[in-house]
Amino acid sequence: MASEGATLQSTTGTPTPTGQSRSVMDRIGGGLAAWLPALPLLILSLLFLVLPTIELVVHSFNSNPTNLRFWTAEFWQGWTLEYWIDTLQSKGSVRAVVTSVRLGVICALISLVIGGPLAWIVSRMFTGKRSVWLSLLNVSANFGGIGLAFAYMATLGTFGMLTLIIQNTGLNFVPPEIGSFTSLVMAYEYTNVPLFVLLTLPAMAIVRGEWLEAAETCSANRWQFWRYIGLPVLSPFLAAGCLLIFTWTIGIYGLAYALGRTASTTGELRMITLQIGLTLNTGAGKEERAYVLAVILLIMACASLLAYRWMLRRALRWFN
Amino acid sequence: MVQLAGKIGRWAFLLLVLLYFAIPMIAVLFYSFSGRWTSNVLPDIWTTSHWGEAFADERLRAAFVRTVLMAFAVLILDVLIVVPAVYWQRVRNPRIRILAELSAAIPFVLPFIIIAFGILKFTGRIAPEMLGTPWIILFGHAAIAFPFLYWAVDGAMSAAHVVRLNEAAMTCGASPFQILRHVVIPNITAGLAAGGMLVFATSFGEFALVQILAGARFENVSLYSLDLLNNTTSQVEKLAVLTIVMFLVLFAISIGVVYVNRNRVSLAVPGGRAMAAEKDL
Repeated sequence: MASEGATLQSTTGTPTPTGQSRSVMDRIGGGLAAWLPALPLLILSLLFLVLPTIELVVHSFNSNPTNLRFWTAEFWQGWTLEYWIDTLQSKGSVRAVVTSVRLGVICALISLVIGGPLAWIVSRMFTGKRSVWLSLLNVSANFGGIGLAFAYMATLGTFGMLTLIIQNTGLNFVPPEIGSFTSLVMAYEYTNVPLFVLLTLPAMAIVRGEWLEAAETCSANRWQFWRYIGLPVLSPFLAAGCLLIFTWTIGIYGLAYALGRTASTTGELRMITLQIGLTLNTGAGKEERAYVLAVILLIMACASLLAYRWMLRRALRWFN
Repeated sequence: MVQLAGKIGRWAFLLLVLLYFAIPMIAVLFYSFSGRWTSNVLPDIWTTSHWGEAFADERLRAAFVRTVLMAFAVLILDVLIVVPAVYWQRVRNPRIRILAELSAAIPFVLPFIIIAFGILKFTGRIAPEMLGTPWIILFGHAAIAFPFLYWAVDGAMSAAHVVRLNEAAMTCGASPFQILRHVVIPNITAGLAAGGMLVFATSFGEFALVQILAGARFENVSLYSLDLLNNTTSQVEKLAVLTIVMFLVLFAISIGVVYVNRNRVSLAVPGGRAMAAEKDL
């Protein structure tokens, strides 16, 4: 790709100057022509992605947030760690961070335990059966937000289908409360497991059937094969999948809001995304804390994604 | 014996996973057809009246139309701004790629709630009159959804050898616009379709931006669903109908994406794309 671009630069990128003296206007025109078709996209992302993100980070450190004129003295006097200290000292906010991280880690691990074997099995299926499973996984991965929250309630709510089925067998079954940690994990996994499978499916192809046969010829059993050959090769891919699931899980909002809003207003459940959402929707809680929580979430997501990229680069050694 | 046990284990595992995915969908479907359902495994009374009621609901229809129109508008805007940018970064100015890739990484990493929060504060300071209008949703959705199209179109242009096509067309004296219209776009339709469907789906099911930036002033299907979920129990069946309709739309889209990408299954999810992109490098 890079070489393609380079050759291009030399052929079309720099038109041969007709004389030594290109005027300033020509140069500006040339520079503009080099960027013009991409400008709408770049301006959109500047205004709706880059600057809003910077805004949040500045606000979390600056007590004079209405004044972002950095050339004035007030702006520079406004810098403070006050909000961070206040947030990190508030029990509710710390609990929110801890719950979000715990939820992310647990969801990633469950995705690994269920999604890993599932990806392996699906990768070894024949085409017809495989595409049925792939469609199912795709659909579940795309099902989310409020619809999924309702589906969860229709399944495991007080009058949920599964609740009724189990109660009809005579068991005295009480489903986990909507908005409890368990309910969130179960609802989250509905999209996380399929995503994990779709993410790791391509990697499953690198473990060849012949390797298994070779190992069997050497009288290794299944367990030994996975312990010494399969998992060491696949582990960077599986770890990368876990990191991505973690990144996405800590940021889920719609589903969390629909399931956990009540528990969140009473203070039973605290999560970063919910704290931010409730502050913005109801004005409850300090807005400064919402900024700090948003930046914490931002840092965690970035760190996790960087780790994911590093892991993937390690993993891709096996492809070449 | 061991092999048989393994086979049974695998069967049981697949069955459990299948039930886990299928039961919530079946439950929603049954709810949409149930007259009363409080104690038995299946609804006590079956009825189709909720479907008629739901489609007769003025508010639901308005929310649905709003959502669909917005998703189409976002799709058109993204196609208009992404395709020329990708074309230009390939044939003229590779430095565009650095900025574009960086921009595309933002919605991939940052939760939408944070992007919504940032847009709320930034726009509130620069242009407060924009808040609550469909415009801010349009631009916000276009910004968070464009990476899907960007990656798909970039991959398609790479596969179509756009650089060579471009050189050939330029030799014939075609202008960049003519090349884009008559040479590039006809060669990247598959990528355009796959990326476009994901853009549509992103806007269609989005909740955070709509709730934070517009709220009740732009009630889309997600917001209406939340309202039905929160308010009264008598509306649950209507919500079931709405959920199924939403689900079918997303289902059709995801099948479409799988079909278009049928030779590159993993690309249907953003992470898969990133994985494939890494492989290219």
